[in-house]
Amino acid sequence: MAYKTVKKEAPGRGEVDILAETYEAGEPIGEEVGRWRHKLQSRDDKLKYLMSGERYWYSDDWFGSEKRKNPA
Amino acid sequence: MPEEKQDKSIDQATQELIEKAEKEGINTAFDRADSLKPCPIGAAGSCCKHCGMGPCRVPLPKGKEETPEEKQKRRGVCGATAETIAARNFIRMVAGGASAHSDHGRGVAELFLAVARGKAPGYEIKDEQKLLQVALDWGIEIGDRSNNEIAVDIGEKALAEFGKQEGELITLRKAPLKRQELWKQQGVAPRGIDREIVEIMHRTHIGVDQDYVNLLKQGVRASIADGWGGSMIATELQDILFGTPAPILGKANLGVLKEKEVNIIIHGHEPLLSEMIVAAASEPEMLELAKSKGAEGINLSGMCCTANEILMRHGVPIAGNFLQQELAIVTGAVDAMVVDVQCIMQSIQTVAECYHTKIITTAAKAKIPGATHIEFDEHDAIKSAREIVKTAIENFPNRKGNILIPSQQCDQIAGFSHETINYLLGGMFRASYRPLNDNIINGRIRGVAGVVGCNNARVKHNEAHITMVKELIKNDVLVITTGCNAIACAEAGLLVPEAAAKYAGAGLAEVCETVGIPPVLHMGSCVDNSRILIAATAMVKDGGLGDDISDLPVAGAAPEWMSEKAISIGQYFVASGVYTVFGVTWPTEGSKEVTEFLFKDMEKLYGGKWDFQPDPVRAAQLMIAHIDSKRKALGIDQARERVLYDMEMRRELEG
Repeated sequence: MAYKTVKKEAPGRGEVDILAETYEAGEPIGEEVGRWRHKLQSRDDKLKYLMSGERYWYSDDWFGSEKRKNPA
Repeated sequence: MPEEKQDKSIDQATQELIEKAEKEGINTAFDRADSLKPCPIGAAGSCCKHCGMGPCRVPLPKGKEETPEEKQKRRGVCGATAETIAARNFIRMVAGGASAHSDHGRGVAELFLAVARGKAPGYEIKDEQKLLQVALDWGIEIGDRSNNEIAVDIGEKALAEFGKQEGELITLRKAPLKRQELWKQQGVAPRGIDREIVEIMHRTHIGVDQDYVNLLKQGVRASIADGWGGSMIATELQDILFGTPAPILGKANLGVLKEKEVNIIIHGHEPLLSEMIVAAASEPEMLELAKSKGAEGINLSGMCCTANEILMRHGVPIAGNFLQQELAIVTGAVDAMVVDVQCIMQSIQTVAECYHTKIITTAAKAKIPGATHIEFDEHDAIKSAREIVKTAIENFPNRKGNILIPSQQCDQIAGFSHETINYLLGGMFRASYRPLNDNIINGRIRGVAGVVGCNNARVKHNEAHITMVKELIKNDVLVITTGCNAIACAEAGLLVPEAAAKYAGAGLAEVCETVGIPPVLHMGSCVDNSRILIAATAMVKDGGLGDDISDLPVAGAAPEWMSEKAISIGQYFVASGVYTVFGVTWPTEGSKEVTEFLFKDMEKLYGGKWDFQPDPVRAAQLMIAHIDSKRKALGIDQARERVLYDMEMRRELEG
């Protein structure tokens, strides 16, 4: 991959090349671009994601205000 | 641009169309607000018209302190005090708002059940994961059952929540454990959605509940039945049917209308029919028909909360918010405005009669004299949708030529559901609110504010919304938004990631740049305020910011509120532990005791309280002061130096 660079002033070194943005240019057009839920295909994957991602409600494997490692 | 038009709105497109309306002799809400002054007694909640002996007006004396004798006499014919009257009026507003959101939820539940039973062709379950999530929430067996079998159980259970007579709403289980306990202790956990609303109507009838504290308590209960009940059911089931929103690019403002295409504006609140209109408008036969009438295509856009629903899921552009509905017709380029329920001005029909626009009502419960009625039939929704699109296309040749479409339109990124925020902050492997909480704790983000609500013709269109939001993000407060505030923010260019560098404080801007999000997150329509409740709950559960929503450095606001729905939303924010500031006007000012109870005493009971401040900068400062007080209580008000512990220091610590 060819990285894009931009010139910037560096203290004591004059103008230097530094790495520019690495994201794809352009606008994220279309309904599908931001959709992420299709990454989970099977029902098992979806349930596993709920147990980890939405663990606050669907799993015991987490610590937080309602399940403290060191109870106050 | 004449100065007078600029006084009406901060938005240039709106100003241009107000001027066009004036030139063409069109009467709009802006004119009516000038000529029709609000009744000061009604505005303060001091007028009771609940029986045939009234209306009884019991205003506070002007310009002097009331003597005890005068106060004793300040009663209605039945003897109801100013306190009783103000509290009655206030909770009837809650009942109106809660019933609107909840009836929306009921409609979704009915369609959901029909889809599950295979009786609503054209619809399907689009988000299996959300289906499983709700099944887990509600204790419905998953096993090897089909999605439709699970959905039938969910639909039946959802519908039962509306008419339930005892126990507690099933959806309350999503709330923080401490909050659930508090609602039980205070006796405000709702039994059933309809029951709490009906009980308000009973208690506020002449000669029933005459203790303002007791009346306000029922207002709290009904509002919880809205936010944590009817609204939440609407959001959850809509997500299952139409997909949980994910980030999507869209546009906003009246410039989204296209002169050479058939313009259909979908206005109102429920996405049930609009989803089908989106599908029908893209059918090749419809495009052919449009071309045969001389149009280059079909251009769908949304207005009010229907706009937010179809934007969040399809990227359909937003033409405007509440006060722009008449002005959209004034462009002369709208071939049909399709409406369902809530926030639809009756005057759109009057304005439409001056142009060629067809107003199409679609809900049996919401008709307008003179409008074309094409009823939405859930059992054959695509047929209704095709008929609507066809009616619009056939109206295209009837345009009268006096067209003015303003050029203003802004990019926006919407679709920040709770699930998506959680995913964006942690990815598929460990979705989490941890980065948000960490950045609140380390002070880059000062707190979070939910800024929502309507437009109000009594104040300059969008001004309070935008002034408040800019003040908040400048002070490193992350804003989450819904409804007409979200549309105002989109029109002002605040819903794009670039807005962080331009308007946000250094800390918030740094976080936004890292995650790639705007400083103002669009979470959806007004029923989607339930998403804000879930996001706040996730912040609590993740830890480090207290044990309940009332411990969080958060605040809520509706700077341009006007509808009863806003009062219900504000009340369930307060009942959930959130400090909530409203602008424009305050509906209990006629009773010092009732206002004092809402603004002070409620905090002792629920950890949240109401406030009123019409100046948006001062209101934002009140919210920031509240956020700072919560930060102090949590012990995160001062930046702490981070120390990297080596093994020796750790041993010392353990010893």
